[in-house]
Amino acid sequence: MACLSSSRLCARVQDKFMCQFGHKVRRQTVFVKLKPPGPTPLRIFGKTCQRVTTCGPSCGSAGLVSSGTMRRLASSMQSTSTGSLPDYGAQIVDPYRLLEDDLNGIYEDIRAELERNTNQPELNTIATYYFDGQGKALRPMVAILMAKAVNYHVYGENSALLPSQRQVAMISEMIHSASLIHDDVIDQSDFRRGKPSVNVLWNHKKVAMAGDFILAVASMMIARLRSDEVTLVLSQVVTDLVQGEFMQLGSKETENERFAHYLTKTYRKTASLIANSVKAVALLSGADESTCELAFQYGRNVGLSFQLVDDLLDFVSSAQAMGKPTATDLKLGLATAPVLFACEKYPELNPMIMRRFQEAGDVEKAFELVHKSRGLEQTRFLARKHGLEAARLASELADSPYQKGLVVTTDLVLNRIK
Amino acid sequence: MSLSRLRIALRSDLVKVTPSSSVVAKIWEPCTREVNTSSAQYAAVSQHNTKPDWNRAVSEAEKIVGYPTSFLSLRWVLSDEIANVALHLRKLVGSNHPLLKTAKNLIYNGKNNMQAWGLIVLLVSKAAGHSPEIPDMEQDKAAGVLHSQRALAEVTEMIRTSHLVHKGLVNMNSRRPIEEPDNMMFGNKIALLSGDYLLANSCTELANLRNQELVELMSSAVRDLAEAEFLGERDEQNNPLPSRPLPVDQREPAADWDCLTSPLPMAGVAGCARREWVARHVLAAGALLGKSCSAALKLAGHEPALQNKGYLFGCHLALAWQAFLDLEAFTGPEPTSFSLVGAPLAFTLEARPELYSYIEAGRKSVHDVDYHALYEAITAGNGIEQTKALQREHISRACDVLDSFPNCDARTALTNIIVAMHP
Repeated sequence: MACLSSSRLCARVQDKFMCQFGHKVRRQTVFVKLKPPGPTPLRIFGKTCQRVTTCGPSCGSAGLVSSGTMRRLASSMQSTSTGSLPDYGAQIVDPYRLLEDDLNGIYEDIRAELERNTNQPELNTIATYYFDGQGKALRPMVAILMAKAVNYHVYGENSALLPSQRQVAMISEMIHSASLIHDDVIDQSDFRRGKPSVNVLWNHKKVAMAGDFILAVASMMIARLRSDEVTLVLSQVVTDLVQGEFMQLGSKETENERFAHYLTKTYRKTASLIANSVKAVALLSGADESTCELAFQYGRNVGLSFQLVDDLLDFVSSAQAMGKPTATDLKLGLATAPVLFACEKYPELNPMIMRRFQEAGDVEKAFELVHKSRGLEQTRFLARKHGLEAARLASELADSPYQKGLVVTTDLVLNRIK
Repeated sequence: MSLSRLRIALRSDLVKVTPSSSVVAKIWEPCTREVNTSSAQYAAVSQHNTKPDWNRAVSEAEKIVGYPTSFLSLRWVLSDEIANVALHLRKLVGSNHPLLKTAKNLIYNGKNNMQAWGLIVLLVSKAAGHSPEIPDMEQDKAAGVLHSQRALAEVTEMIRTSHLVHKGLVNMNSRRPIEEPDNMMFGNKIALLSGDYLLANSCTELANLRNQELVELMSSAVRDLAEAEFLGERDEQNNPLPSRPLPVDQREPAADWDCLTSPLPMAGVAGCARREWVARHVLAAGALLGKSCSAALKLAGHEPALQNKGYLFGCHLALAWQAFLDLEAFTGPEPTSFSLVGAPLAFTLEARPELYSYIEAGRKSVHDVDYHALYEAITAGNGIEQTKALQREHISRACDVLDSFPNCDARTALTNIIVAMHP
């Protein structure tokens, strides 16, 4: 990690911005927002798409799609597909469109809340930097979707989104951004969400403080909801995030423990935030315990699926886009699911994992072995398994457009492109 | 102590207490009242100690309420994450990362880092007592405080330590080349995560108290600490520099801080020695200690007026303590460097604005400043005297609040701590 970062640092000192082209950035993923051009493209997709129950890389049914938007999606599906969208008939819903009114202005509201909480202009600038509307707002989207689905489940058709539930949606994005800001300092990333990352632009001490600041403002918002339960649930998220980071530091576990360690880490770093924020909106809705637990499990599965796809894209999408291997996780010394699966066929990966891919040629070799093995397929399979479980849980809620949106979301997560 | 007596005392005080809206604002300006009555009276209390000293005052106080620090609890030592950090810290030994210094200061609990903050919160808790309705289960009878107040004291220390650790990051983004970049990067990573760990723990501890007003208040203290690192000018490592002194006729009036959960107003702060010093240290220290004391009284079921006094006590104590630290550099032989945002220098710059050119030399690094020249200027002027007056004022205001508590061992301990830093 350290030696790697120093070379990256040198690169940056020479030319701070040129390296944007050289270094690909983690988690700079873009959702296929199934929106215009073309009238309701998803419907076309829904009609033409076959339900495929087998898994593996060959199961993409991309060839069947003709719409222009779909072609974009299709090209990625050839390599990243984790299965195709199930057939929803005419009732297919695009969650982002469904929630347009509720999601509208969510970044502005977050920025306003942060601005209200400081009289230091530079702190405001750093803290609001990532709330520019360029993110995909997955967390707020899922939180609001769940809020509306659960409200419908409990109160029927005339239920509306509660202001407190929208606050939770904002809080989830704020906690996420606070952790991104600290990650940027830790990983020394250069580029995020299409612009230089915070650690490139500002003093690292100030960047760290801006992360603390966002967390503090989010905590104040949580407290103002005046719900002991919600505060407890959301404070768990922060603990999980930090423990996940700590787990990422050490690789002292044995080969047998490694996968469990990876999954726990993935839950803590990614899934916990989604799971606990959808649980919080369910609690605020006044739903019973089993519904809250269902919401939690839905979020947990969506979160795991999301991160597994992320880890997969780190191997696939970069090779495609850059024409050369640039696996970011490997470079950071992290062994994610594709590598761990590949290990079964190629035990020579074990020592590389132990030394965190630090020796010359390790990254390239591991990258090659992953592609030669069935690691990517198996990762896809696991992501899909969690996606299906989330969809199954969502289908237990009362039938509503939002409930359908939750099911569609599991597919969006699986089929996204870099 | 009799609680009904305390109640009566409080009620009679209520008449004098200004509404919460303006109480806080008074931290800005000098009080007109002659300082000395209460501090002199308190000095008498501890006269049997020939020379009241900080360490003795603190260790005696610890006997009264038990150890407050989370660092001494087994839970802390046994935690997996911390064991991990310790392992990683070993890799850093021998490097110059400031995290090592922070860690050393935490372990060797020296008097310069005021690790007594949790202790102060507990002493205030004990001195004020608690409502009789609170069930026995929730009390730590031996120490005379509530379990929730003890948890709060831990939170206070965790927040403060987290802030110190995050403050100790190295800016890798500076124009000057960084020495040992790999060690610094690794140290930053560990420092950032350790601070986050403490912050996350304090979130959980606070949530467990199941008091949302308290969560809001304490979170606002975390926000204040973050804001503190942005106030005024900075060198490339974010070390603070004083603002250029403004002539009196160009100063804006100071705005009141009428709501503690709102951020501290900055109107009229920059360039005015006293206000800038107060604002800086209220954000960096006073807010956390004050809000913690206020929260401790809230947990005990005291009325908002007394909670507000708790805030003022903590805030003034922290400011008095800061003034004491600022003065320390000028008591012994000439130090090689000292705080550029200390009160003695602030007052000296205000009196002689032309000295600001020395400060400008430190824009890149505070190490480039000619400390000797500034030292001479400070000792030649009356900045030290003004700082002593400033400290006496804050001590006196802290003591005023102590008057509202019944006489008991905890109040005496607080008094002794205050006296130990009397100029």
